[in-house]
Amino acid sequence: MRGIIMAVLLLPIMAGVTGVVLPAFGVLPSLGRIDPGLDAFAELLQVPGIEASIWLTLRTGLISTALATVIAVLLPGLLFQSRGFGLLRRYLAPVLSLPHVTMAVGLLFLLQPSGWLIRLVSPALTGWTRPPNLALVPDEAGLVLILGLMAKEVPFLVLMVLSSLGQINTIPLMTSARSLGYGKMTSWILVVLPQLWPRLRLPVLIVMVFSLSVVDMAVVLAPGTPPPLAVRVLRWYQDPDLSMRFLASAGALVQLGLSVLGFVVLLGLEKTAARAGRWLSFRGVRYIRWRNVFRHGTSAILLVAGILPFVLALLGLFSALIWSVAGVWRFPDALPSFLTLRYWLQLEGGLGLALMETVLIGGISAFLGVVLVIIWLEAKPARAKIAEELIFMPLLIPQIGFLFGLQIILLWLGLDGLRSALIWAHLLFVFPYAWLTLAPSWRAYPREWDILAATMGKSWPQRFFLIKIPLLLTPILTAFAIGFSVSAALYLPTIFAGNARILTLTVEAVTLATGAGRQPLGVATGLQMLLPFMVFVLAGAVSHWRFRRFSGIS
Amino acid sequence: MKFLFQVRLFAMPRWGTALSRATLLVTLIFAGVMTRSGVAETVYFNAWGGSPAINDYIRWAGDEVEKRYGITLVHVKLTDTAEAVGRILAEKTAGRTSGGSVDLIWINGENFASMKRNKLLQAKPWVMDLPSFRFTDPVALPAILNDFATPTDGLESPWGRAQLVFGYDTGDLKSPPKSAAALGEWIRSNPGRFTFPQPPDFTGTSFLKQILLEVAAEPALLQHPADQVDAEAVMAPLWAWLDDVTPHLWRQGRHYPANYTAMVQLLGDREISIAMAFNPAEFSNNISSGVLPDTVRSYIHDGGTIANVHFVAIPFNASAPQAAMKVADFLLSPEAQLRKADSSVWGDPTVLAMSRLPAADRAAFDALPRGIATLTEAELGKSLAEPHLSWIPLIEEEWQKRFASGN
Repeated sequence: MRGIIMAVLLLPIMAGVTGVVLPAFGVLPSLGRIDPGLDAFAELLQVPGIEASIWLTLRTGLISTALATVIAVLLPGLLFQSRGFGLLRRYLAPVLSLPHVTMAVGLLFLLQPSGWLIRLVSPALTGWTRPPNLALVPDEAGLVLILGLMAKEVPFLVLMVLSSLGQINTIPLMTSARSLGYGKMTSWILVVLPQLWPRLRLPVLIVMVFSLSVVDMAVVLAPGTPPPLAVRVLRWYQDPDLSMRFLASAGALVQLGLSVLGFVVLLGLEKTAARAGRWLSFRGVRYIRWRNVFRHGTSAILLVAGILPFVLALLGLFSALIWSVAGVWRFPDALPSFLTLRYWLQLEGGLGLALMETVLIGGISAFLGVVLVIIWLEAKPARAKIAEELIFMPLLIPQIGFLFGLQIILLWLGLDGLRSALIWAHLLFVFPYAWLTLAPSWRAYPREWDILAATMGKSWPQRFFLIKIPLLLTPILTAFAIGFSVSAALYLPTIFAGNARILTLTVEAVTLATGAGRQPLGVATGLQMLLPFMVFVLAGAVSHWRFRRFSGIS
Repeated sequence: MKFLFQVRLFAMPRWGTALSRATLLVTLIFAGVMTRSGVAETVYFNAWGGSPAINDYIRWAGDEVEKRYGITLVHVKLTDTAEAVGRILAEKTAGRTSGGSVDLIWINGENFASMKRNKLLQAKPWVMDLPSFRFTDPVALPAILNDFATPTDGLESPWGRAQLVFGYDTGDLKSPPKSAAALGEWIRSNPGRFTFPQPPDFTGTSFLKQILLEVAAEPALLQHPADQVDAEAVMAPLWAWLDDVTPHLWRQGRHYPANYTAMVQLLGDREISIAMAFNPAEFSNNISSGVLPDTVRSYIHDGGTIANVHFVAIPFNASAPQAAMKVADFLLSPEAQLRKADSSVWGDPTVLAMSRLPAADRAAFDALPRGIATLTEAELGKSLAEPHLSWIPLIEEEWQKRFASGN
């Protein structure tokens, strides 16, 4: 059973990667060209500005991952056993439901020279009656892209940390360390973190691969002269000139290489950090003295750094909502001259359709994803043990590195442009996230209860459907909601597998963000915010209703 | 409350089984009937989706063909036509010779030449046979048969005309520069107030072509394929002009807007003083939608600006070619062209010849309202012919190398 699921989900990826590796070395039989060699790579090196593109990609990807990781591992330590921790736990999941593009658009609306932030302070504080000629979004160094990436990554990694905390004995560990006289942050770093890190390695790798190869956020936030590597590779793939395919495949392989480079850097940093931690512990330092003085300072910095990208994005999204009901809004007015519901009521033709598509595809892929995860978790392990890490392969290989090969296969099978093929492509990404959400809780289900029910004469279906599923309803619903958000946020897979015939809200938003009208973009953004949020609220409501008479089950 | 599931999950009364079986049967029959009865044909029209006005017009056209022919028109919005051409190419390499994902595509110039070269179009010419084609006059408007110096061979049907126009805010700028030389001087004395869409965007590349046509020593050479003349020498004045001007552009020439709609927004925000577009009615449209203030007017250069025709074509593997031809014919019909030329809808000039239209239609065209920022036919009269296609990739690549590679 597990083997079948694995085959359904992984073979397309392997085939996709082959569909990219072969052309990179000059082999593409369907085009009638088989001259193996390194020509494509030579051509790649000749592309003007390629080093700048690669450097930009590395910079933004690695810095955002590093900052997000540091904040994500330290922030829960800071808030441990304080009121903030409970808040964090409860409100994190809906925060994650916003698609990447939405965050990017939020930052765009807030920070651009004609954006809300500057409108609010002009001309009162700045004396500007026209937008300043500053490169704020996108900026030269890619800082806004880093900010945008962090806005999504920090909540994701914090969620991973929180779920991992449940698997190690955090409270006893912290209590013992603190009773030995170590300060809170020091105990967190020296005792809890080393236990936490092995469980975090995978999420951090996923985040890093994503940051290095993101396309939709890069189109909105990254500089265009030259753009990051993944954006260039996408444009080469879409070029009608066929010989560009070889160049594009070479570029995709370089993208893969960048991810591998990132892995290596990560492992190196890990070893160094481990050494430093050991050195620190053997020194017998119980708390770092200067922290007593600056304790509140560092905490404040950490808190602000963690929350700032997200808060900025949220403010920007608020201004996007204002734009969606704006009649006319001239710079430097802080608010529109008059409001109109025209754009919401019309739903600009395409947006209404995109909304339905998003709901349909998201709902079905999330449902199927959760069902498959449950089947996986319940199935007996195959005789040849399939490593569970393989589930994450779609997330660990840059999307641009296998989607083109996947598209060729779908074309060959005649499945391209069909909703079912698109749902299957989405399933590749929904499955790992649903697994990440559901597996810990599923595994934590006490086997004794199963055995107890069996001794009372209940058959397997009865034990499963009447006892296990209802008890695990909340994690299942959360996994569904997360699966839905993942599907709603997918950009490249929707474009490649759907042949651009099937438009979801994310695809429409990227098109709108590059030019056509701020009001429709505001409406699209509003819809993208509402949709996953409503699914989460629904999931929470259902589980709350179900367990309203039971205490102690969450 | 009794736990729902506790009620006999796996036992059902006999009538229940019968009912569920009957429902299944009825559903299957219904599904069979629906698929066999030939539900309305669907035409997937791949067209650039970046302008709300154009999207609305296509939606109207869809409603009309639904009413007249029962055809469902689906507007597949593209960010770049090259995307769809690439997809058709991918289908061809995968051996998909029928049932393709694109039935009708909005296209011209480079993309059309690429489709023609890779044999991605219909095998037989079909445009001359369209009933509405008799209203055009290829002699008066030769661009109908020659797309950027590539013969159309009856494989693409003309849809609209385009001419590069510039827009400016009269409240901001009293008299705009009306030639490449004047523009260059103006940019230098007003830094940060001018830009153009980043090539290879169509409008951006066309702006570069416009400047080239004006500053080239021998503009006539541009009508020849680039490999037949000394391309570098011909393009040199363009790079000299850009070298002078780029440091004084908006954002010091390090960032460019993605397309002309983004530029119109910049004009509305007063970040720049001059915008450009290919649709002469663009600025009037934006004034009526409130994006631009009503002090905006348009102008063209004294020596004329680039003009061309845009078309719709049918790929070789379209899944509904006959329906697509009906749609193309409708788009070419006087009724559709009239509504398209109406500046309150789209404002795209017609490709139909007034002399070939019946009197009633001619009167209707004459009576069309003209937006306050739209130039008259007479004012648009001076136009320059598009250079040969082969110049486009040269200009784009060289521009990328010099100005968009992080140096």
